[in-house]
Amino acid sequence: MTVCLLFAPMIGARPGDLTGEEASALAEHLASCNACQGRLADEEVLSGMLSEALMAEANRRDFSAFSDEVLARIPTLERAGARTAPQGGMLRPILGWVRHHRLLAAASALAPTLAALALIVYLGQGSAPEGAPVEVSSEGRSTMVLETSEGPVVLLGDLEPEGS
Amino acid sequence: MEADDLALVSRAKAGDPEAFRALVVRTQRKVYAVALGIVKDRDLAWDISQEAFVRVHAHLSEFKGESSFSTWALRIVSHLAIDSVRKERTAAKDDIDDVRETDLAGGGEGILATALGNDPQENALRRELAGKMAEALAQLPEKHRTILVLREVEGLSYEELAERLGIHKGTVMSRLFHARKKMQALLREYAGIEPEEAAEGGAEP
Repeated sequence: MTVCLLFAPMIGARPGDLTGEEASALAEHLASCNACQGRLADEEVLSGMLSEALMAEANRRDFSAFSDEVLARIPTLERAGARTAPQGGMLRPILGWVRHHRLLAAASALAPTLAALALIVYLGQGSAPEGAPVEVSSEGRSTMVLETSEGPVVLLGDLEPEGS
Repeated sequence: MEADDLALVSRAKAGDPEAFRALVVRTQRKVYAVALGIVKDRDLAWDISQEAFVRVHAHLSEFKGESSFSTWALRIVSHLAIDSVRKERTAAKDDIDDVRETDLAGGGEGILATALGNDPQENALRRELAGKMAEALAQLPEKHRTILVLREVEGLSYEELAERLGIHKGTVMSRLFHARKKMQALLREYAGIEPEEAAEGGAEP
């Protein structure tokens, strides 16, 4: 076992790590030592797994804001970046705003549809008795339109987008 | 160094922020992986990775292209990560790098290789253990985490490790031996291979 004290730490060396003399001595020892052959087999089978695991952790993380945050930490670049307005540069803050204000964004998207529906109901108001709510559906969403003496009133429901 | 990287570095040196952004995007995940492996904490690793790129930018004019851009960025991030965890270092047992007879006792050599089989890419246990690697790494002392990450992720040679860590090549080898031994013990535990079983399984590769 004692001779393994010298060679066990050499196991896992890559080409160029050991001197020629060390590499030859290690090869000679490995040929006759089952325990060190086992150590080498363990090392070989696990080789690359740590790198893969850490890269997998990195790949699971959302890096979409990373470079922006780096540039923001470099004052000279932040100013230069604003001047050049790179591709997607104008879109990036808008997309960021939409991500952080999903409810308002959904309401904004639905507003023209609701206005059009209100107009249709108003023009055909003779068909429904005053005060009776009319249910209107569009793109899988239903909206109540209430007829009043002041004209149709759209009753806004829950505008939270599905799945959010 | 890739021609693309060289061109981007030249443009970044000339003050083009989008060229610098492209260099960041190309290397950010590996830089983060190195930081995470050393410091363990995701938020701290994120912050250290960003600080590394700030330092890279600050010293861009000194970059001569003798190594690749990513090698240079990885060197900077590992320095920052090591600095941030240096306080973790403790005295006593963990500071001993020598390999002693007792370190070779206990058997289990080759037991993981046998369990993981001949076709590691297709092996279910391998996939399971791969998912546990980061967790196992986080349980190691700072100096063992660091040397494993520098070796396995950054890909440094023994000579480069000795220079980076300020230790002799012999210490590099023995420290790596201890780090791997601890890692393998944790993986055997995750795999449900009892120490007694490992000891009995012993010497067959």
